Amino acid sequence: MSEVLLVFLYALSTAVATGLGAIPFLFVRELSERFAAYSAAVAGGLMLGASFGLVAEGIGYGRGETLAGALVGVFFILATQRFLGDRDGQDLVFEAATGEGAKKMLLIVIVMTAHSFAEGVAVGVSFGGGVTLGAVITIAIAIHNVPEGVAISAVLRPQGVSVPRCAAWSVFSSLPQPLMAVPAFLFVETFRAALPYGLGFAAGAMIFMVLVELLPEAYEHGDRAQVATLATASAVAMVLFQQWL
Amino acid sequence: MRESTSAPPQVPRPTLRVPGAAWHIEPVTTLEPLAAVLLFSGLAALTAVLGTVPQALGKAPPRTWIGWANALAGGLMLGVAYTLLTEGLSTGLIAGGVGALLGIGFVRGSHALAGTGELDVDELEFSGPGSGYQAVLVDALHAADEGVAIGVAMAVSLPLGIAMATTLAVHNIPEAMVLSTVLARKGLGLPRAALVSVAVNVNQVLLAVVSFGLLSLFPAVLPLIAGFAVGALMYRTLVELLPESYHQAGETSIAMVTLLAMGVVVLLSGVAR
Repeated sequence: MSEVLLVFLYALSTAVATGLGAIPFLFVRELSERFAAYSAAVAGGLMLGASFGLVAEGIGYGRGETLAGALVGVFFILATQRFLGDRDGQDLVFEAATGEGAKKMLLIVIVMTAHSFAEGVAVGVSFGGGVTLGAVITIAIAIHNVPEGVAISAVLRPQGVSVPRCAAWSVFSSLPQPLMAVPAFLFVETFRAALPYGLGFAAGAMIFMVLVELLPEAYEHGDRAQVATLATASAVAMVLFQQWL
Repeated sequence: MRESTSAPPQVPRPTLRVPGAAWHIEPVTTLEPLAAVLLFSGLAALTAVLGTVPQALGKAPPRTWIGWANALAGGLMLGVAYTLLTEGLSTGLIAGGVGALLGIGFVRGSHALAGTGELDVDELEFSGPGSGYQAVLVDALHAADEGVAIGVAMAVSLPLGIAMATTLAVHNIPEAMVLSTVLARKGLGLPRAALVSVAVNVNQVLLAVVSFGLLSLFPAVLPLIAGFAVGALMYRTLVELLPESYHQAGETSIAMVTLLAMGVVVLLSGVAR
Protein backbone atom coordinates (compact mmCIF):
# COMPACT_ATOMS: atom_id res chain seq x y z
CA MET A 1 0.00 0.00 0.00
CA SER A 2 3.00 2.29 0.51
CA GLU A 3 3.48 2.09 -3.26
CA VAL A 4 0.04 3.62 -3.65
CA LEU A 5 1.10 6.43 -1.33
CA LEU A 6 4.31 6.88 -3.36
CA VAL A 7 2.34 7.14 -6.61
CA PHE A 8 -0.02 9.60 -4.95
CA LEU A 9 2.91 11.73 -3.71
CA TYR A 10 4.68 11.64 -7.11
CA ALA A 11 1.50 12.71 -8.84
CA LEU A 12 0.83 15.35 -6.18
CA SER A 13 4.29 16.80 -6.82
CA THR A 14 3.46 17.19 -10.51
CA ALA A 15 0.34 19.06 -9.44
CA VAL A 16 2.35 21.36 -7.17
CA ALA A 17 4.81 21.95 -10.04
CA THR A 18 1.96 23.58 -11.97
CA GLY A 19 1.89 26.29 -9.29
CA LEU A 20 5.50 27.17 -10.19
CA GLY A 21 4.11 28.55 -13.44
CA ALA A 22 2.88 31.58 -11.51
CA ILE A 23 6.36 32.48 -10.24
CA PRO A 24 7.56 34.35 -13.37
CA PHE A 25 4.71 36.80 -12.82
CA LEU A 26 6.43 37.94 -9.63
CA PHE A 27 9.33 39.24 -11.71
CA VAL A 28 7.74 40.01 -15.07
CA ARG A 29 4.81 42.35 -15.28
CA GLU A 30 3.91 41.33 -18.80
CA LEU A 31 5.11 37.87 -19.72
CA SER A 32 5.47 37.80 -23.49
CA GLU A 33 3.26 35.51 -25.54
CA ARG A 34 6.42 34.33 -27.28
CA PHE A 35 7.83 32.93 -24.06
CA ALA A 36 4.56 31.08 -23.37
CA ALA A 37 4.62 29.78 -26.95
CA TYR A 38 8.16 28.43 -26.62
CA SER A 39 7.34 26.84 -23.27
CA ALA A 40 4.43 25.09 -24.97
CA ALA A 41 6.79 23.93 -27.75
CA VAL A 42 9.22 22.44 -25.21
CA ALA A 43 6.36 20.84 -23.27
CA GLY A 44 4.92 19.43 -26.51
CA GLY A 45 8.29 17.96 -27.48
CA LEU A 46 8.80 16.35 -24.06
CA MET A 47 5.30 14.86 -24.09
CA LEU A 48 5.80 13.54 -27.63
CA GLY A 49 9.10 11.95 -26.59
CA ALA A 50 7.49 10.50 -23.45
CA SER A 51 4.64 9.11 -25.55
CA PHE A 52 7.14 7.41 -27.88
CA GLY A 53 8.52 5.69 -24.78
CA LEU A 54 5.02 4.64 -23.70
CA VAL A 55 4.21 3.23 -27.14
CA ALA A 56 7.50 1.31 -27.33
CA GLU A 57 6.80 -0.08 -23.85
CA GLY A 58 3.18 -0.95 -24.69
CA ILE A 59 4.14 -2.71 -27.92
CA GLY A 60 6.24 -5.08 -25.85
CA TYR A 61 2.96 -6.34 -24.35
CA GLY A 62 0.82 -6.11 -27.48
CA ARG A 63 0.83 -3.90 -30.56
CA GLY A 64 -2.87 -4.00 -31.40
CA GLU A 65 -3.86 -3.44 -27.76
CA THR A 66 -1.58 -0.40 -27.52
CA LEU A 67 -3.07 1.15 -30.66
CA ALA A 68 -6.62 0.40 -29.50
CA GLY A 69 -5.82 2.07 -26.18
CA ALA A 70 -4.45 5.08 -28.02
CA LEU A 71 -7.75 5.47 -29.89
CA VAL A 72 -9.65 5.37 -26.58
CA GLY A 73 -7.28 8.05 -25.24
CA VAL A 74 -8.06 10.27 -28.21
CA PHE A 75 -11.81 9.85 -27.76
CA PHE A 76 -11.45 10.53 -24.05
CA ILE A 77 -9.93 13.95 -24.82
CA LEU A 78 -12.54 14.55 -27.55
CA ALA A 79 -15.42 13.70 -25.19
CA THR A 80 -13.99 16.00 -22.54
CA GLN A 81 -13.69 18.81 -25.06
CA ARG A 82 -17.29 18.29 -26.17
CA PHE A 83 -18.50 18.33 -22.56
CA LEU A 84 -16.73 21.67 -22.07
CA GLY A 85 -18.13 23.06 -25.29
CA ASP A 86 -21.71 22.50 -24.11
CA ARG A 87 -21.13 24.70 -21.06
CA ASP A 88 -19.33 27.39 -23.00
CA GLY A 89 -22.27 29.75 -23.44
CA GLN A 90 -23.37 30.30 -19.82
CA ASP A 91 -23.15 33.63 -18.07
CA LEU A 92 -20.65 33.28 -15.27
CA VAL A 93 -18.78 35.07 -12.53
CA PHE A 94 -15.17 34.12 -11.84
CA GLU A 95 -12.80 35.81 -9.39
CA ALA A 96 -13.35 39.56 -9.72
CA ALA A 97 -14.49 39.46 -13.34
CA THR A 98 -17.82 38.85 -15.05
CA GLY A 99 -18.88 38.29 -18.67
CA GLU A 100 -16.23 37.68 -21.31
CA GLY A 101 -13.26 37.91 -18.94
CA ALA A 102 -14.82 35.44 -16.50
CA LYS A 103 -15.72 33.08 -19.33
CA LYS A 104 -12.19 33.17 -20.70
CA MET A 105 -10.64 32.45 -17.28
CA LEU A 106 -13.12 29.73 -16.35
CA LEU A 107 -12.63 28.06 -19.71
CA ILE A 108 -8.86 27.80 -19.33
CA VAL A 109 -9.16 26.47 -15.76
CA ILE A 110 -11.76 23.87 -16.81
CA VAL A 111 -9.79 22.80 -19.89
CA MET A 112 -6.56 22.46 -17.95
CA THR A 113 -8.28 20.64 -15.08
CA ALA A 114 -10.06 18.26 -17.45
CA HIS A 115 -6.90 17.35 -19.34
CA SER A 116 -5.22 16.61 -16.00
CA PHE A 117 -7.47 13.56 -15.66
CA ALA A 118 -5.73 12.04 -18.69
CA GLU A 119 -2.35 13.05 -17.29
CA GLY A 120 -3.19 11.48 -13.95
CA VAL A 121 -4.04 8.26 -15.73
CA ALA A 122 -0.72 8.59 -17.60
CA VAL A 123 1.18 8.91 -14.30
CA GLY A 124 -0.57 5.95 -12.69
CA VAL A 125 -0.25 3.76 -15.76
CA SER A 126 3.40 4.67 -16.28
CA PHE A 127 4.19 3.49 -12.76
CA GLY A 128 2.61 0.20 -13.85
CA GLY A 129 5.10 0.19 -16.75
CA GLY A 130 8.08 0.35 -14.43
CA VAL A 131 9.29 2.72 -11.73
CA THR A 132 12.06 4.17 -13.92
CA LEU A 133 9.67 5.05 -16.72
CA GLY A 134 7.19 6.29 -14.12
CA ALA A 135 9.76 8.63 -12.61
CA VAL A 136 10.71 9.90 -16.06
CA ILE A 137 7.09 10.49 -17.02
CA THR A 138 6.49 12.19 -13.67
CA ILE A 139 9.42 14.53 -14.32
CA ALA A 140 8.18 15.16 -17.87
CA ILE A 141 4.67 15.92 -16.68
CA ALA A 142 5.96 18.08 -13.83
CA ILE A 143 8.11 20.04 -16.30
CA HIS A 144 5.28 20.31 -18.76
CA ASN A 145 2.94 21.42 -15.97
CA VAL A 146 5.05 24.53 -15.33
CA PRO A 147 4.34 26.22 -18.69
CA GLU A 148 0.70 25.16 -18.27
CA GLY A 149 0.72 27.06 -14.99
CA VAL A 150 2.24 29.92 -16.95
CA ALA A 151 -0.57 29.65 -19.50
CA ILE A 152 -3.26 29.68 -16.80
CA SER A 153 -1.60 32.57 -14.99
CA ALA A 154 -1.15 34.46 -18.27
CA VAL A 155 -4.93 34.45 -18.68
CA LEU A 156 -5.81 35.09 -15.03
CA ARG A 157 -3.16 37.71 -14.16
CA PRO A 158 -4.25 40.39 -16.70
CA GLN A 159 -7.81 40.06 -15.31
CA GLY A 160 -6.53 41.30 -11.94
CA VAL A 161 -6.11 37.93 -10.20
CA SER A 162 -3.22 38.03 -7.69
CA VAL A 163 -0.07 35.94 -8.24
CA PRO A 164 -0.75 33.57 -5.28
CA ARG A 165 -4.30 32.97 -6.56
CA CYS A 166 -2.88 32.32 -10.05
CA ALA A 167 -0.62 29.68 -8.45
CA ALA A 168 -3.56 28.23 -6.52
CA TRP A 169 -5.73 27.88 -9.62
CA SER A 170 -2.76 26.33 -11.43
CA VAL A 171 -2.34 23.69 -8.71
CA PHE A 172 -6.12 23.16 -8.61
CA SER A 173 -6.10 22.43 -12.36
CA SER A 174 -3.64 19.58 -11.75
CA LEU A 175 -5.33 18.01 -8.70
CA PRO A 176 -7.04 15.32 -10.82
CA GLN A 177 -3.55 13.95 -11.44
CA PRO A 178 -3.02 12.42 -7.95
CA LEU A 179 -6.73 11.52 -7.75
CA MET A 180 -6.66 9.60 -11.03
CA ALA A 181 -3.12 8.25 -10.63
CA VAL A 182 -4.00 5.92 -7.73
CA PRO A 183 -6.95 4.07 -9.34
CA ALA A 184 -5.02 3.94 -12.63
CA PHE A 185 -2.02 2.50 -10.81
CA LEU A 186 -4.22 -0.05 -9.00
CA PHE A 187 -6.01 -0.93 -12.22
CA VAL A 188 -2.72 -1.62 -13.97
CA GLU A 189 -1.38 -3.70 -11.10
CA THR A 190 -4.54 -5.78 -10.85
CA PHE A 191 -5.06 -6.37 -14.55
CA ARG A 192 -1.66 -6.93 -16.13
CA ALA A 193 -3.33 -7.72 -19.46
CA ALA A 194 -4.79 -4.22 -19.59
CA LEU A 195 -1.34 -2.64 -19.44
CA PRO A 196 -0.83 -2.13 -23.20
CA TYR A 197 -4.31 -0.57 -23.41
CA GLY A 198 -3.41 1.73 -20.52
CA LEU A 199 -0.02 2.68 -21.99
CA GLY A 200 -1.65 3.25 -25.37
CA PHE A 201 -4.39 5.31 -23.71
CA ALA A 202 -1.80 7.55 -22.05
CA ALA A 203 0.24 7.92 -25.26
CA GLY A 204 -2.82 8.58 -27.41
CA ALA A 205 -4.17 11.17 -24.97
CA MET A 206 -0.78 12.87 -24.62
CA ILE A 207 0.05 12.98 -28.34
CA PHE A 208 -3.47 14.17 -29.16
CA MET A 209 -3.13 16.95 -26.59
CA VAL A 210 0.21 17.99 -28.08
CA LEU A 211 -1.35 18.13 -31.54
CA VAL A 212 -4.65 19.72 -30.60
CA GLU A 213 -3.57 22.13 -27.84
CA LEU A 214 0.13 22.80 -27.40
CA LEU A 215 1.41 22.98 -30.98
CA PRO A 216 -1.36 25.23 -32.35
CA GLU A 217 -0.83 27.50 -29.32
CA ALA A 218 2.93 27.59 -29.93
CA TYR A 219 2.54 28.36 -33.65
CA GLU A 220 0.07 31.13 -32.95
CA HIS A 221 2.44 33.23 -30.89
CA GLY A 222 5.92 31.89 -31.66
CA ASP A 223 8.32 31.88 -34.58
CA ARG A 224 7.80 28.67 -36.52
CA ALA A 225 11.48 27.74 -36.87
CA GLN A 226 12.10 28.23 -33.14
CA VAL A 227 8.98 26.23 -32.20
CA ALA A 228 10.04 23.37 -34.49
CA THR A 229 13.63 23.44 -33.19
CA LEU A 230 12.60 23.45 -29.52
CA ALA A 231 9.95 20.75 -29.94
CA THR A 232 12.20 18.46 -32.02
CA ALA A 233 15.20 18.86 -29.70
CA SER A 234 13.06 18.27 -26.58
CA ALA A 235 11.41 15.19 -28.06
CA VAL A 236 14.74 13.63 -29.07
CA ALA A 237 16.31 14.58 -25.72
CA MET A 238 13.37 12.97 -23.90
CA VAL A 239 13.71 9.68 -25.82
CA LEU A 240 17.49 9.62 -25.31
CA PHE A 241 17.03 10.39 -21.61
CA GLN A 242 14.57 7.48 -21.28
CA GLN A 243 16.87 5.06 -23.13
CA TRP A 244 19.82 6.18 -21.02
CA LEU A 245 17.99 5.55 -17.73
CA MET B 1 11.85 5.30 -62.15
CA ARG B 2 14.75 3.97 -64.16
CA GLU B 3 16.72 2.85 -61.11
CA SER B 4 13.99 0.55 -59.93
CA THR B 5 13.56 -1.37 -63.18
CA SER B 6 17.26 -1.78 -63.84
CA ALA B 7 18.11 -2.67 -60.27
CA PRO B 8 17.43 -6.42 -59.96
CA PRO B 9 19.52 -7.64 -62.96
CA GLN B 10 22.66 -5.83 -61.75
CA VAL B 11 22.92 -7.94 -58.62
CA PRO B 12 26.06 -10.03 -58.97
CA ARG B 13 25.78 -13.53 -57.61
CA PRO B 14 28.38 -14.74 -55.11
CA THR B 15 31.50 -15.32 -57.18
CA LEU B 16 34.21 -13.61 -55.17
CA ARG B 17 33.85 -15.77 -52.11
CA VAL B 18 37.21 -16.84 -50.73
CA PRO B 19 36.93 -19.86 -48.42
CA GLY B 20 38.21 -19.11 -44.95
CA ALA B 21 38.20 -15.33 -45.33
CA ALA B 22 34.99 -14.15 -43.71
CA TRP B 23 35.32 -10.52 -44.74
CA HIS B 24 35.18 -11.46 -48.43
CA ILE B 25 31.57 -12.50 -48.00
CA GLU B 26 30.78 -9.00 -46.79
CA PRO B 27 30.55 -7.27 -50.22
CA VAL B 28 28.32 -10.02 -51.55
CA THR B 29 25.87 -9.93 -48.65
CA THR B 30 25.55 -6.15 -48.84
CA LEU B 31 24.92 -6.01 -52.58
CA GLU B 32 21.64 -7.88 -52.53
CA PRO B 33 20.10 -5.56 -49.94
CA LEU B 34 21.47 -2.66 -52.02
CA ALA B 35 19.33 -3.87 -54.90
CA ALA B 36 16.38 -4.02 -52.51
CA VAL B 37 17.13 -0.44 -51.40
CA LEU B 38 17.10 0.67 -55.06
CA LEU B 39 13.92 -1.24 -55.82
CA PHE B 40 11.86 -0.12 -52.84
CA SER B 41 13.05 3.48 -52.73
CA GLY B 42 12.44 3.67 -56.48
CA LEU B 43 8.89 2.37 -56.09
CA ALA B 44 8.32 4.81 -53.22
CA ALA B 45 9.46 7.68 -55.44
CA LEU B 46 7.11 6.55 -58.23
CA THR B 47 3.95 6.55 -56.11
CA ALA B 48 4.12 10.36 -56.15
CA VAL B 49 2.34 10.11 -59.52
CA LEU B 50 -0.85 9.14 -57.65
CA GLY B 51 -0.82 12.54 -55.99
CA THR B 52 -1.60 14.19 -59.31
CA VAL B 53 -4.91 12.30 -59.62
CA PRO B 54 -7.03 15.22 -58.31
CA GLN B 55 -5.45 17.43 -60.98
CA ALA B 56 -6.04 14.76 -63.63
CA LEU B 57 -9.72 14.69 -62.67
CA GLY B 58 -9.75 18.37 -63.41
CA LYS B 59 -10.38 19.73 -59.95
CA ALA B 60 -8.10 21.34 -57.43
CA PRO B 61 -8.46 19.60 -54.08
CA PRO B 62 -10.41 21.63 -51.49
CA ARG B 63 -8.45 23.53 -48.87
CA THR B 64 -9.37 21.12 -46.07
CA TRP B 65 -8.08 18.20 -48.17
CA ILE B 66 -4.74 19.97 -48.54
CA GLY B 67 -4.68 20.37 -44.76
CA TRP B 68 -5.45 16.69 -44.21
CA ALA B 69 -2.90 15.67 -46.86
CA ASN B 70 -0.24 17.64 -45.01
CA ALA B 71 -1.33 16.18 -41.68
CA LEU B 72 -1.20 12.67 -43.18
CA ALA B 73 2.28 13.29 -44.57
CA GLY B 74 3.36 14.83 -41.26
CA GLY B 75 1.93 12.03 -39.12
CA LEU B 76 3.75 9.45 -41.23
CA MET B 77 6.98 11.42 -40.71
CA LEU B 78 6.47 11.50 -36.93
CA GLY B 79 5.83 7.75 -37.05
CA VAL B 80 9.06 7.30 -39.02
CA ALA B 81 10.86 9.39 -36.39
CA TYR B 82 9.41 7.12 -33.69
CA THR B 83 10.63 4.01 -35.52
CA LEU B 84 14.14 5.39 -36.05
CA LEU B 85 14.36 6.68 -32.47
CA THR B 86 13.39 3.36 -30.93
CA GLU B 87 15.27 1.09 -33.40
CA GLY B 88 18.33 3.05 -34.51
CA LEU B 89 19.79 4.95 -31.57
CA SER B 90 20.26 2.33 -28.86
CA THR B 91 23.92 1.70 -29.72
CA GLY B 92 24.97 5.33 -29.36
CA LEU B 93 22.79 7.81 -27.51
CA ILE B 94 25.19 10.76 -27.64
CA ALA B 95 25.91 10.18 -31.34
CA GLY B 96 22.14 10.03 -31.90
CA GLY B 97 21.66 13.34 -30.11
CA VAL B 98 24.47 14.97 -32.08
CA GLY B 99 22.96 13.57 -35.28
CA ALA B 100 19.54 15.00 -34.42
CA LEU B 101 21.04 18.46 -33.83
CA LEU B 102 22.90 18.16 -37.16
CA GLY B 103 19.62 17.20 -38.85
CA ILE B 104 17.83 20.23 -37.42
CA GLY B 105 20.80 22.43 -38.39
CA PHE B 106 20.85 20.97 -41.91
CA VAL B 107 17.21 21.82 -42.58
CA ARG B 108 17.44 25.26 -40.95
CA GLY B 109 20.61 25.98 -42.92
CA SER B 110 19.20 24.79 -46.23
CA HIS B 111 16.08 26.88 -45.66
CA ALA B 112 18.20 29.94 -44.96
CA LEU B 113 20.41 29.37 -48.02
CA ALA B 114 17.51 28.61 -50.36
CA GLY B 115 15.38 31.46 -49.04
CA THR B 116 12.56 29.04 -48.34
CA GLY B 117 12.40 29.58 -44.59
CA GLU B 118 9.22 31.60 -44.77
CA LEU B 119 7.60 29.42 -47.43
CA ASP B 120 4.55 27.31 -46.79
CA VAL B 121 4.60 24.28 -49.02
CA ASP B 122 0.88 24.00 -48.65
CA GLU B 123 -0.06 27.66 -48.99
CA LEU B 124 -1.89 27.80 -52.30
CA GLU B 125 -2.16 31.56 -52.59
CA PHE B 126 1.47 32.15 -53.48
CA SER B 127 2.09 35.59 -54.88
CA GLY B 128 5.77 35.60 -55.92
CA PRO B 129 6.68 34.31 -59.39
CA GLY B 130 9.42 32.11 -57.90
CA SER B 131 7.13 30.24 -55.50
CA GLY B 132 6.72 27.29 -57.89
CA TYR B 133 10.47 26.75 -57.97
CA GLN B 134 10.63 27.16 -54.21
CA ALA B 135 7.96 24.51 -53.67
CA VAL B 136 9.93 22.14 -55.90
CA LEU B 137 13.13 22.96 -54.00
CA VAL B 138 11.51 22.36 -50.60
CA ASP B 139 10.17 18.97 -51.68
CA ALA B 140 13.48 17.99 -53.27
CA LEU B 141 15.35 18.83 -50.05
CA HIS B 142 12.71 16.96 -48.06
CA ALA B 143 13.18 13.86 -50.20
CA ALA B 144 16.89 13.86 -49.30
CA ASP B 145 16.44 13.09 -45.60
CA GLU B 146 13.57 10.72 -46.40
CA GLY B 147 16.14 8.81 -48.46
CA VAL B 148 18.46 8.71 -45.46
CA ALA B 149 15.55 7.31 -43.41
CA ILE B 150 15.10 4.44 -45.92
CA GLY B 151 18.84 3.76 -45.93
CA VAL B 152 18.95 3.65 -42.13
CA ALA B 153 15.90 1.40 -41.85
CA MET B 154 17.30 -0.97 -44.49
CA ALA B 155 20.57 -1.09 -42.53
CA VAL B 156 18.67 -2.05 -39.36
CA SER B 157 16.82 -4.85 -41.14
CA LEU B 158 15.31 -5.56 -44.55
CA PRO B 159 11.71 -5.84 -43.26
CA LEU B 160 12.03 -2.53 -41.42
CA GLY B 161 13.45 -0.98 -44.59
CA ILE B 162 10.51 -2.24 -46.65
CA ALA B 163 8.10 -0.89 -44.01
CA MET B 164 9.89 2.46 -44.17
CA ALA B 165 9.78 2.56 -47.98
CA THR B 166 6.07 1.69 -47.89
CA THR B 167 5.46 4.50 -45.39
CA LEU B 168 7.31 6.99 -47.59
CA ALA B 169 5.49 5.72 -50.67
CA VAL B 170 2.23 6.64 -48.94
CA HIS B 171 3.75 9.90 -47.69
CA ASN B 172 4.80 10.91 -51.22
CA ILE B 173 1.18 10.84 -52.47
CA PRO B 174 -0.23 13.73 -50.38
CA GLU B 175 3.08 15.56 -50.82
CA ALA B 176 2.76 15.30 -54.60
CA MET B 177 -0.91 16.30 -54.38
CA VAL B 178 0.07 19.56 -52.70
CA LEU B 179 3.00 20.17 -55.05
CA SER B 180 1.05 19.48 -58.25
CA THR B 181 -1.71 21.80 -57.03
CA VAL B 182 0.86 24.55 -56.52
CA LEU B 183 2.39 23.88 -59.94
CA ALA B 184 -1.01 23.86 -61.65
CA ARG B 185 -1.62 27.33 -60.19
CA LYS B 186 1.64 28.33 -61.88
CA GLY B 187 0.22 27.13 -65.22
CA LEU B 188 2.19 23.92 -65.53
CA GLY B 189 0.51 21.15 -67.55
CA LEU B 190 -0.49 17.87 -65.95
CA PRO B 191 2.20 15.62 -67.52
CA ARG B 192 4.97 18.01 -66.50
CA ALA B 193 3.51 18.46 -63.01
CA ALA B 194 3.45 14.67 -62.63
CA LEU B 195 7.02 14.44 -63.91
CA VAL B 196 8.25 17.10 -61.49
CA SER B 197 6.38 15.42 -58.60
CA VAL B 198 8.29 12.20 -59.24
CA ALA B 199 11.56 13.94 -60.09
CA VAL B 200 11.79 15.71 -56.72
CA ASN B 201 11.99 12.23 -55.17
CA VAL B 202 15.10 11.18 -57.11
CA ASN B 203 17.06 12.43 -54.10
CA GLN B 204 15.19 9.89 -52.03
CA VAL B 205 16.55 6.99 -54.11
CA LEU B 206 20.03 8.49 -54.30
CA LEU B 207 20.40 9.11 -50.58
CA ALA B 208 18.79 5.80 -49.67
CA VAL B 209 21.54 4.06 -51.65
CA VAL B 210 24.34 6.33 -50.44
CA SER B 211 23.40 6.15 -46.75
CA PHE B 212 22.81 2.40 -46.93
CA GLY B 213 26.19 1.91 -48.62
CA LEU B 214 27.83 4.09 -45.98
CA LEU B 215 26.20 2.13 -43.17
CA SER B 216 27.25 -1.19 -44.73
CA LEU B 217 30.87 -0.02 -44.70
CA PHE B 218 30.74 1.73 -41.31
CA PRO B 219 27.94 0.18 -39.18
CA ALA B 220 29.17 2.19 -36.17
CA VAL B 221 27.78 5.46 -37.57
CA LEU B 222 24.19 4.11 -37.50
CA PRO B 223 23.07 6.15 -34.43
CA LEU B 224 24.58 9.34 -35.90
CA ILE B 225 22.86 8.88 -39.29
CA ALA B 226 19.59 7.73 -37.70
CA GLY B 227 19.67 10.75 -35.37
CA PHE B 228 20.28 13.01 -38.37
CA ALA B 229 17.22 11.60 -40.16
CA VAL B 230 15.08 11.95 -37.02
CA GLY B 231 16.12 15.56 -36.43
CA ALA B 232 15.62 16.57 -40.06
CA LEU B 233 12.28 14.77 -40.51
CA MET B 234 10.75 15.94 -37.23
CA TYR B 235 11.92 19.52 -37.75
CA ARG B 236 10.52 19.59 -41.29
CA THR B 237 7.20 18.18 -40.13
CA LEU B 238 6.92 20.79 -37.39
CA VAL B 239 8.10 23.74 -39.48
CA GLU B 240 6.46 22.95 -42.83
CA LEU B 241 3.65 20.43 -42.69
CA LEU B 242 1.78 20.96 -39.43
CA PRO B 243 1.64 24.76 -38.96
CA GLU B 244 -0.31 25.60 -42.11
CA SER B 245 -2.44 22.47 -41.97
CA TYR B 246 -3.96 23.88 -38.76
CA HIS B 247 -5.19 26.87 -40.77
CA GLN B 248 -6.55 24.75 -43.59
CA ALA B 249 -8.60 22.37 -41.48
CA GLY B 250 -9.73 22.33 -37.85
CA GLU B 251 -7.24 21.53 -35.10
CA THR B 252 -9.23 18.45 -34.05
CA SER B 253 -9.32 16.86 -37.50
CA ILE B 254 -5.65 17.67 -38.11
CA ALA B 255 -4.67 16.12 -34.79
CA MET B 256 -6.82 13.07 -35.61
CA VAL B 257 -5.35 12.54 -39.09
CA THR B 258 -1.79 13.05 -37.81
CA LEU B 259 -2.29 10.58 -34.98
CA LEU B 260 -3.92 7.96 -37.21
CA ALA B 261 -1.00 8.26 -39.64
CA MET B 262 1.44 7.70 -36.77
CA GLY B 263 -0.58 4.64 -35.77
CA VAL B 264 -0.37 3.27 -39.32
CA VAL B 265 3.43 3.46 -39.17
CA VAL B 266 3.46 1.58 -35.85
CA LEU B 267 1.17 -1.06 -37.41
CA LEU B 268 3.36 -1.32 -40.54
CA SER B 269 6.57 -1.82 -38.58
CA GLY B 270 4.71 -4.60 -36.72
CA VAL B 271 3.71 -6.32 -39.95
CA ALA B 272 7.37 -6.17 -41.00
CA ARG B 273 8.42 -8.33 -38.09
